[in-house]
Amino acid sequence: MATVDQTPASAPTISARDAWYPSRMRDVFILRQLVAKDFKLKYRRSILGVAWSVLNPLLMMLVMAAVFSHFMRTNDPSIGNYPLYLILGNTAFSLMNDATNNGMRSIIDAASLLKKVKINRYVFPVQKVLFAVVNYAFSLIAIGLVMLFFRVPITPYALLLPVAIALLATFCIGLSLLLSAASVFFRDVIHLWSVVITAWTYATPLFYSISILPDWMVKLETFNPMFHYITFIRDVMLWQTLPSVTTVIGCVVFAVVSLAVGAFVFRTHERKFILYI
Amino acid sequence: MMSEVDSTTNEWGAYLSVNRKRCRLGESVTMTPVLFHTDGEGFKFNYVWINGGWSNGNWETTLAKTGSYTTDRSYTFTPPHPGTYDLCVDIFPPDGVQFTVQRRLVVYEDLLSDKIDRGILEKEDTPVISVKDVSMIFNIASERFSSLKEYFIALMRNELTFKEFKALNGITFDVRRGEAFGLVGTNGSGKSTMLKIIAGVLDASEGTCTVQGTIAPLIELGAGFDLELTARENIYLNGSLLGYRKEFIDERFDDIVAFAELENFLDMPLKNYSSGMVARIAFAIATITEPDILIVDETLSVGDFLFQRKCERRIQELIASNNVTVLLVSHSIDLVERICDRVCWIEKGEQRMLGPSADVCAAYKAMM
Repeated sequence: MATVDQTPASAPTISARDAWYPSRMRDVFILRQLVAKDFKLKYRRSILGVAWSVLNPLLMMLVMAAVFSHFMRTNDPSIGNYPLYLILGNTAFSLMNDATNNGMRSIIDAASLLKKVKINRYVFPVQKVLFAVVNYAFSLIAIGLVMLFFRVPITPYALLLPVAIALLATFCIGLSLLLSAASVFFRDVIHLWSVVITAWTYATPLFYSISILPDWMVKLETFNPMFHYITFIRDVMLWQTLPSVTTVIGCVVFAVVSLAVGAFVFRTHERKFILYI
Repeated sequence: MMSEVDSTTNEWGAYLSVNRKRCRLGESVTMTPVLFHTDGEGFKFNYVWINGGWSNGNWETTLAKTGSYTTDRSYTFTPPHPGTYDLCVDIFPPDGVQFTVQRRLVVYEDLLSDKIDRGILEKEDTPVISVKDVSMIFNIASERFSSLKEYFIALMRNELTFKEFKALNGITFDVRRGEAFGLVGTNGSGKSTMLKIIAGVLDASEGTCTVQGTIAPLIELGAGFDLELTARENIYLNGSLLGYRKEFIDERFDDIVAFAELENFLDMPLKNYSSGMVARIAFAIATITEPDILIVDETLSVGDFLFQRKCERRIQELIASNNVTVLLVSHSIDLVERICDRVCWIEKGEQRMLGPSADVCAAYKAMM
């Protein structure tokens, strides 16, 4: 039998006693590894690979633009460029959809891991949200292509887009924390959520303009977080203007409230997860 | 055993009876040739054992003893080193047609054998592991609600009572720095639950468990491996889950691979690996560090025979290295007695006894 030489060729600079990150920094590396894992697995063995992240929103936009331009008055001044109007709303909404759907299942899916390793449980829902943000970043290429095609200029207001995405991601993290904790104890939440998402898709002005809604429904939209985030994104990308104060306040309030509620529910129940997964 | 006897003919036959198929190093083995359809008059035997010579590639054949059926019916010997042995008996009947019977024997090296020299460690009085009045209560599965409807129906009917199972009840002990501490108890007594609480996987229902320093829990290896990813990717993923620094993994990557002996398969998805190979890589990642606290579950055994020895050697190295606090869980009371300074005996979730190794082990043995 060949004996294996266990002495490294060059003297190691980090002692084996010093192999660990301090506990806070651990999570950063874990998050990076988990996001990288999801990303690799998503596109492994697909020929177009990452290109799908760009193609998917584009194709979606083409289909919806083809179908709905007949129903919608495309000259509606509150819509502007309809394909761009569509893709901005769709990508932001699917960021929330992906983030919450995967985040909700993340604790249940990580059951085998949580039963074996000491690990901060919140990394799983957060990781799924970050992964959705990474995917969104790729769909920005698609958005860029659409803007280029329709000669919509990119202005310095676009620099506010990361702010909108950060607020949206915070909102999604809070929601994912809440949903993942709830689904551990009641699996029905998973089924219920898909219904909620469908209703939410139609309740949000993704392919229609808010101007076609009756007054009372417009008032109701104030309580729709996605309405605020999508308005923010359309303001800076499509209308090249600063978002209104109401929109910004709406975005911030929903992000903070969602994170506070989500974190509270998660923290108070996470110790019991292991007994139910 | 008797099924091997072919009763349809009247020709004589033989088989070899060995009192054990596998044994630990140091235990003795008795081989007894059994003859049938003959009175054995005038038969002569050569007792031979062949050792597969794992370490040097040579097959070591030892003619241990010659004898006859009347004087030497069996032969007892102690295998000198671990490995696979072929135990053979050449049988020479009076009519001269030689017949050989054989059986295989596997000899294991005792995990954490007595070669370990822990040296004299400075034992400080500050506990690194402090377990205070820990209880663990599980709700019995049938009382769990996985649907909201069931939950609310039960809530309305005021039926939200849980049947409780106490896996641990009021366990209290401290482990001091540099100490070797043992946990003993029969199966299902709560040892593993206690280990999981110390490793931080489970949270105690009542009481507190504080741990200072880094832990290498050699209990559940390879958690978080993704079979679709390659070995290279899994080393980083698993390393990150264990809390290792990225630079540390970069630097020791080759050591991990060399230890697991997987140089040629690094970029193959883990799903194409054999389970033994996966276990090897998991063990290599888990033991590349020098922790403050080493948790060893003796039931841990991975890979083939060769790799098991390598694992044992690595665990011995870790135990012998300075300043490591060892928490050992084992069924083998002799092993615990030899290694540990103090022992806690848990039985059916209750703490039976806590004290110096010799006292507790004596009491434990007395119960058996």
